[in-house]
Amino acid sequence: MKSRNGRRSLVLAITLASALVLSACSKSVNDSTSAASGECGDYAIAMHAWNGYTASAQVVAEVAKKELGCNITQTTLDEGPTTYDAMEAGTIDVVIEDWGGGRWKEWVDRGAVVEAGLNGNVGLIGMYVAPWMAEKYPDITDSKNLNKYASLFKTADSGGKGAWYEGPPGYTTIGEKMVSANKLNFKVIFSGSEAALVDGFTKAEANKTPFIGYAWQPWTLFAKIPNLEKGHVHFPANDWSDAAEASGLTDYPETPLMKLISKKLNDSNSSFATLVKNFQWTNDDQNSVAADIEGGMKPEEAAQKWIDAHPDQVKAWIGK
Amino acid sequence: MHLRKSHLLLGLITIWIALAKLLHGKNTLQIDTYENTSFTSYVGKMALELRGNRTESTAFIYFFNPIRTFIDGFVQTIRNLIAVPAANSQIPTIGWFGVVGLIGFFVYATSQWRTAILSIALLLGCGALGMWQFTMDSIAMTLASVILSLAIGIPLGIWAGLSDRVLKFLTPFLDLAQILPTLVYMAPIALVFMIGAASATIATMIYAIPISIRITSHAIRTLNQSPVEASKSLGSTKKQTLTKVQLPMAKQMIVLGINQTVMAAVSFVVIAALIGAPGLGKPVVSALIIRNVGQGFVAGFAVVFLAILLDRSTSAAAKKQVSYIQPSEKTLRNRRIAKISLGIGALISVYLSRTMLWAAVWPSELSIAKQVEVFTNDATNWALKNLYFLTVGFKDFISYSVLNPLESLLAGSPWYLTVGMVVAVALVIAELRIAILAFALSMIIVLSGLWYESMITLTQTIVGTLLTMMVGIALGIWTGRNDRLEKILKPFLDAGQTLPAFVYLVPMLGLFGPTRFTAIATGIVYSIPIVVKIVCEGIRAVPHSLVEAATASGSTTYQIITKVQLPAAKRTILLAVNQGLIYVLAVVVIGGFVGSGGLGYLVIVGNSKPELQGKGLIAGLCILLLGVIFDRIMQSSARRS
Repeated sequence: MKSRNGRRSLVLAITLASALVLSACSKSVNDSTSAASGECGDYAIAMHAWNGYTASAQVVAEVAKKELGCNITQTTLDEGPTTYDAMEAGTIDVVIEDWGGGRWKEWVDRGAVVEAGLNGNVGLIGMYVAPWMAEKYPDITDSKNLNKYASLFKTADSGGKGAWYEGPPGYTTIGEKMVSANKLNFKVIFSGSEAALVDGFTKAEANKTPFIGYAWQPWTLFAKIPNLEKGHVHFPANDWSDAAEASGLTDYPETPLMKLISKKLNDSNSSFATLVKNFQWTNDDQNSVAADIEGGMKPEEAAQKWIDAHPDQVKAWIGK
Repeated sequence: MHLRKSHLLLGLITIWIALAKLLHGKNTLQIDTYENTSFTSYVGKMALELRGNRTESTAFIYFFNPIRTFIDGFVQTIRNLIAVPAANSQIPTIGWFGVVGLIGFFVYATSQWRTAILSIALLLGCGALGMWQFTMDSIAMTLASVILSLAIGIPLGIWAGLSDRVLKFLTPFLDLAQILPTLVYMAPIALVFMIGAASATIATMIYAIPISIRITSHAIRTLNQSPVEASKSLGSTKKQTLTKVQLPMAKQMIVLGINQTVMAAVSFVVIAALIGAPGLGKPVVSALIIRNVGQGFVAGFAVVFLAILLDRSTSAAAKKQVSYIQPSEKTLRNRRIAKISLGIGALISVYLSRTMLWAAVWPSELSIAKQVEVFTNDATNWALKNLYFLTVGFKDFISYSVLNPLESLLAGSPWYLTVGMVVAVALVIAELRIAILAFALSMIIVLSGLWYESMITLTQTIVGTLLTMMVGIALGIWTGRNDRLEKILKPFLDAGQTLPAFVYLVPMLGLFGPTRFTAIATGIVYSIPIVVKIVCEGIRAVPHSLVEAATASGSTTYQIITKVQLPAAKRTILLAVNQGLIYVLAVVVIGGFVGSGGLGYLVIVGNSKPELQGKGLIAGLCILLLGVIFDRIMQSSARRS
């Protein structure tokens, strides 16, 4: 028994040891294929989950890799504090699109995160009804008339009131304030994710069932559901920029989207820092890349397609 | 006695409903989701300070940060070996071909041919699903957390096995860790260790260590004592008795403990992605966010493959020790030759994976991911289109007939009524001690300011548990009485236990929309396998003589089930209810991602909105308190029955 066990461990040990020696000594593919990595350095871009973000981040990544020779890691993680913490810890260097209207302040004050200017995209948040409703009830898009239709939106989950589907957790949302300030006969349901809203809008339009929910542009759902923009319910023009101080009476303001970088990248003076600071494009630019990705193209290919079509803009970003 | 108890309960519930009608909507303690109480904003402020202190305070510099650095480094080393290229390289140290060769060899060396071939097939399956690197990341993460868990769990388990005092001290922590829903402790851990591999590893360890402690101490305690006595009487020291007698005898059971630890770590693979774990969890979670059922399933299949691979290879190693028949010289020699040649093969594959590009990086042509994704998406879309009205009808039926009335009973009535009634129920079905505990814990929830949200979550948990028990007990009885059915169901139950709930959260969303019922349905699917297993065991444990006596006296099958098997298995069934409830609770909270609100949503929103961080942390605490209250009441009532 003992010798058998002993011999078994011996074979195991020998194999493991030689595997390690082998991997340490043998000439590896690495040496033969090691690419020309330039003087740019190693950096990590945060990849937030929505498609628009992917489009922007991928374009920056491709330019950095191909034009500047940087080593870029793309790390999927949640937006907001999660990412700022990672930037503080030194594992993330770039957030290419942040909607958070100043939620990063604490990290900026501490010197861990640096604002790197606007990325040119403008976020427009609002409450939208399914487009078929906007057509059938033209006056529903005025917030004053919402109560008239509240009973249509009743579901098993809304406690006798209309169901009001609020945005995902990381987004700027003031639905509870809007409902109470405007005395709307609605109950706020926290949809919890983009997926839940996509599901809600898509089914409502397909089955012609009533639905009112939170939506934002640029968002690829607008490409998938025709006329969704016509469902925008208008509240009086906005009177706030900080969600904590919003009265709830008025609509969401337009949000210019912000780039954030780590202190490390800001201090580095590398060509990548220049690229990120200069990067700017329009909602249409982002939508075209995002739509390609949505249509089944790989993010790398979609980004490259846009880069090939806009050489001058890319040159301006990298400062050449 | 039994009759009185049920009458008392019935009376209590009647009074409860009447009072709830009378006092409806008063003192419900409901506050806006985005509103803080002074307590939660205080906790939020503390959390902010903690974040700010991470680079300055001594506790961080000398304790937490070194731990984080060590674990990060440990995980990174393993990842560099098989999963990701180290700095300045293009491929990991061992490419895919080498990994397949090595794993095949190791599994063969520790168990047998069939398991080795199965393992290789499963690994190739993960690669074909386009998930090679994610799978390797998950293996690396699992390996790291299992090694660290065992390094802590086995010594502690041995100690608890030898000393009653240690066991007594550890037991409450072990119990707590079993109740604790995983979503709950991730935020506090991430607060201290930051998002990343270290936090994910530590979270996994918290889940896995108690299991290895439990099984190891159990292994030592249940040993046949005569050899131990003999060794003692022969004058061996304690250390000699432990290393020469107790440990070798308990070895098989300890290996089983390793298997269970591995499985615990695997079940964490997906949810750990929420706090930055590399691996298969990432595609699963991102599929949820962008609502791509196909992508979620592709990654989910890879998780299941990985789980089967790790389960079979470790449990085969455990079983192998059992064989008492000495194999013949010839088979031994054959095996040795096979082992050595396989070992050489593994070495060659490692060598190839370092020198040939095709063996280093999984060739993207060898992928059926797109097809699987498209197929699942099509199938789901078909199901959604054609079943939607059915499922919505069912959802509405349950919502109006059970969910809403119960919610208005628990959440819509004054807090003191609900607390009072919970305590009264505890008094009737459990012990006084437990009723006092239930009162104290409920009051903590009340004082925390999250009473209303807690009752919303509790409602969903209870409805989920009721539905689970209806299906679970029926299936459990059926499988308990029918061997063939058990054989057919077993793989499904096993898969159901390993398939992460996140994977089917999206299809559930498709079937039921962004509603509370989506969370409930997910909880049901997740908890049915464990309930069926426990009930089935309970039914099988009923002495044959009882059943035969009833059959002989001419009872019908129905009578045998209701008069003999169910009463005899009552205790096990109560435990199954408890287990089912804890499982449903753990999953109902992730329903916060799909519109079910309640405590789960608060935990999630606390992670992404700094101003609600305190509320999120407290919500986590409330989930735990709910779990403890119910676990204690059910355990005690099972003891008393």
